[in-house]
Order: sequence, then structure tokens, then C-alpha cells
Amino acid sequence: MKSRFSDAMTLAVVLAILLFILAPILVLLFSAFDGGNIFRFPPRTYSLRWFEAAFNHPEYRSSLWISTLLGVIATVIAVSLASLAAFGLVRGRPRYRFAVEVLLLAPLTLPLVVWAIALLSIYAELGMNGTLTGLILAHVTITLPFAARIMIATLNEIDPRLEAAAKSLGATPVQVLRRITLPLALPGLLSSSAIAFLVSFNDVVVTTLIAGAGWITFPVRTFSRLRTEGIDPTTIAIGAMIVAFTLLLILVGQRLFQLSRRF
Amino acid sequence: MNQIPDIKPHTTAMLVGPAAALMFGVFVLPFLFLLVLSFWSQVPGSLQFDTYLTVLNYARIFGDSYYLGGLWTTLWLSGLVTVICLLLAMPLARWIVLRAGPAKGLLIGLSILPLVCGALLPTLGLVNLLSPLGFINGALKSLGLIQSSLPLLGNITGVAIGLVQAFLPLMILPLITTMERLPQEYEKAAMSLGARRLVVWQRIILPLLLPGIVAGSLLVFCASLTAFVTPQVLGQGKVVTFASLAYQQAALVLDWPFASALAIVMLIFLGLAGMLGALVTRKFGKAS
Repeated sequence: MKSRFSDAMTLAVVLAILLFILAPILVLLFSAFDGGNIFRFPPRTYSLRWFEAAFNHPEYRSSLWISTLLGVIATVIAVSLASLAAFGLVRGRPRYRFAVEVLLLAPLTLPLVVWAIALLSIYAELGMNGTLTGLILAHVTITLPFAARIMIATLNEIDPRLEAAAKSLGATPVQVLRRITLPLALPGLLSSSAIAFLVSFNDVVVTTLIAGAGWITFPVRTFSRLRTEGIDPTTIAIGAMIVAFTLLLILVGQRLFQLSRRF
Repeated sequence: MNQIPDIKPHTTAMLVGPAAALMFGVFVLPFLFLLVLSFWSQVPGSLQFDTYLTVLNYARIFGDSYYLGGLWTTLWLSGLVTVICLLLAMPLARWIVLRAGPAKGLLIGLSILPLVCGALLPTLGLVNLLSPLGFINGALKSLGLIQSSLPLLGNITGVAIGLVQAFLPLMILPLITTMERLPQEYEKAAMSLGARRLVVWQRIILPLLLPGIVAGSLLVFCASLTAFVTPQVLGQGKVVTFASLAYQQAALVLDWPFASALAIVMLIFLGLAGMLGALVTRKFGKAS
């Protein structure tokens, strides 16, 4: 009896902590439907007008477009490079494997703001500040570690004997890759693409330092407006849509290919 | 048989090369440049560097109570956030590993959400949660529990709440990884031999979990020490943290040598934290 009580207590504590993690995201989703100019709880009216305003706002539209473009380019490059490297490390088993893994995963542990300050000064020296190339390089660098970690874990789980069997039955290396390795690595490729895209799309720390006036992504625009004018409801509406999209991607990824197991 | 690589060393190098070169060139080299830059100075009124080596930037940081105050606030705030994250993540991670069953994957997926949402969007939600007209104050007022709003924004409380929320996953993930490797039999064996719960925790569970605790604490401490988006938004400019000082110097004042010195000071404290972590692991890791 006592243990059932303590079980219930534990469950309550665990749910409270989970709620705390999710609370800001839930509040963001909820407050986008507040009809007032300033969010207040409980809201006086509910409306969709801020969503409408969001879609009609040219500055936000161009920022969202830039964020998407940058996210897609960075994801394609980062996932390709990371997959090739992961394949080399896992199948080639070179002696330098550990060192390279540390190098590829370094941005996950080292502070990005410190790095971005350095990158900003280097870009200034090279005349690359505010260029799309500079921005893409930076975004590939911050997304590659996520992709590399997921791809290394994915390839580690593929039995090399399957590839060997196909080869011994006369398959060419290209056939082995297309018919055996790629299909088996697909869940990992999709997981790493999803995570890389989200990390690039939502980054504010690095981008706000190195993006010039020409390529203002949505988080950068929001952050700079936040410092000067405070929160505007249109931002909340777009933020809510992005968060809903992120949540959906994580849930679908979880359902289809156990995204969190690879993370 | 297993020792023979599936692909040739030459091909391996070709595959690994591009990613490694990119990370070395774009990620590692800037850190070295940063170190040099922090000993340079800015030619007044321009964006040119004076490459004459000087320690003036560092003297300015350690001789000015504004920067020292920011450093001190940031250090204890990061320590506090780390401890709170540990206290919250421990029961959650333990429950996810031992009890969650089929919901485990989903729960891990949800816990990593703050990591992929970036620093900004959850902070926007937190503003509406904590503001004087926000969720918490509104709910407490309509329940009649408080008359005037609790100040949860624009002070250390708000920043601490935001940092804990943002970086909790960094503690949860290493704890889950360590707990999954921990054989449950040890705990049961100790219990069946008559050890009390507290003793089991002290002598069995905590020492075995130590690598995860240290790893998670370092990640959270490092992230809090260098966070500037959350402190700026939730502190509303009233809470001065070290990273926001560095951000101001780099992005607004455009004094990059000084910003680099601030960044190097952050790195030094992260290095010290890392050494402390290694020391703790060595001292208590294999004890009992």
C-alpha cells in the first residue's frame, strides 16, 4: 500500500518535470490564439488574426524564406559530409577513428558563442561577413556534429556481413550501396536530416553574430526586434507555427524510426 | 576476419577527409585565432587590428568591477542551474529508464525538444508564462492566491528558470545513457543483503552514475555559462551575464579583440570546470 502511494508520488513528480520542460512550448502555442495586442492570461478574446498578420508580413515572409533556404542547403551538405565520414570511420576502422570522432562532435560540447565571435573576426578579415557562403559554412559546421553522431550510430548497427554476402553473390560496390547499405541507413539519414534542419532553422546564437543585413533569418529578426521593441504578437504566431512543426517532426520521426534512440 | 577493414585506407581517408577538414578549418582554427586576437587591440575608431601584443584586454576585464560582477553572477548562476537540473533530471531519467516501458522513446523525444527548438522560441513562451500578465501570475490572481504580480521577469529568477528549462535535456540524456548501462542486480543485491535505501544510493547507485552526473553537469554548466539569448530576453537587460557582455562587445560595440578576451576568459572557466569534473570522477568514481 505504501509503495503504491510512493509510486503515485513519483509519477506526479515526473509528470510535473515533464510539464515544466514542455510548458514554454505549450504556452507559445496557446498564446498565439490570444486576440489582444499584449498576451494576458486568461485571454479576453481568441482569434486567428495574428496568424493572418504573420502571413501578410513581408519582412517575416522573407526571413522565413531565408531560414528555410539556409536550413535546406546546410542540411544537404552537412548530412552528405557526415554520412561519408561516418561510413569511412565505421567501415574503414582507421586508427585515427577516435580522434576524428572527437573532432566531428566538438561543436556539441564547445561553446558556440565563443566560436561565433572568432568566426566573426575571421570573416571580417576575409571580407566574408554577411555573405551567404559564410552563413552556409557556419550552419554546416553547427549541424554536422548532430548528423555525424546519428550516422555513426546508425552505421554501427548495420551488420557488415549483409554487405559482404551481397558482394560474394556478385553485386558490384554500387549495387551493394544502393540495394543494401542505403535502405538500411535510411532511417538514420532521415533522422539526421530532420535534426540538422531544425538546428539550422532555429539557430540564433551563431547566426545573430555573423549574419549581415542581407540574410536575416527568422530567429535573428525576432531576437533583434525583441531587444528593441519587445514581443509582438505576429512573432508569437510564427513562433507557434515553427514550434508546432518541430513537435510534429519529432513525433513523426519517433513513430517512424525511433529518432530519440539515435540521438 | 573482423580485423580486416571493409574499405581501403586510401578510400577511408577520402571519405573522412572533407568533413574532418571542414571541422578543423572552420571550427578549430577560429579558436586558435581567438587566442591571438585577444592579445591584440583595436585601432580606435576603425575595425582594424593593432597587432602589437598586449594584455590590456585582460587587465580591463579583471580591473573593472562591472565585468568582474558579470563574471561572478554568471558563475554562481551557472552553478545553481546545474544543481537544479541535476535534481530535476535524476528522478525523471530514472523513471524513464526503469518505469516508462513503451513510452520511453516518446518521452526521450519530448525531452530533447528544447534542444532542437533553439534558444529563442521557448524563451518567447517563457516570457508569456512569467510576465506580470502571463500564465502564472494570471492563474494565481484568478485563484485569489496573490493580489499583485510576482516579479518573475527581468531578474535572476526568470533567467534561472529559462536556463534550467533550456538545458535540462543536456542533463537528462547522459543520465539516461549511464543508467541504461547500470545493472539493476547490484541495487537488488545490496537491498537483499540488508542495506538501507540511503546506503544503496550512497555506495552503489551514485558512484556508478557518477560519469553521467559529471558529463551532464559539465554540459549544463558550460551551456549556462555561455548562454546569452535566454539571459537577455528573460533578464530584459537587467541581468548582466558574462556571455551577454561578450555578445555586446562583438555584435554591437564591434571591439573584437576585447570580445575575444572575454570569450577566452569563459573558455578558461570551462576548462577549470572540466578539470574539476575529472578530479571528482577520479576521487569518487571507483570508491566504496
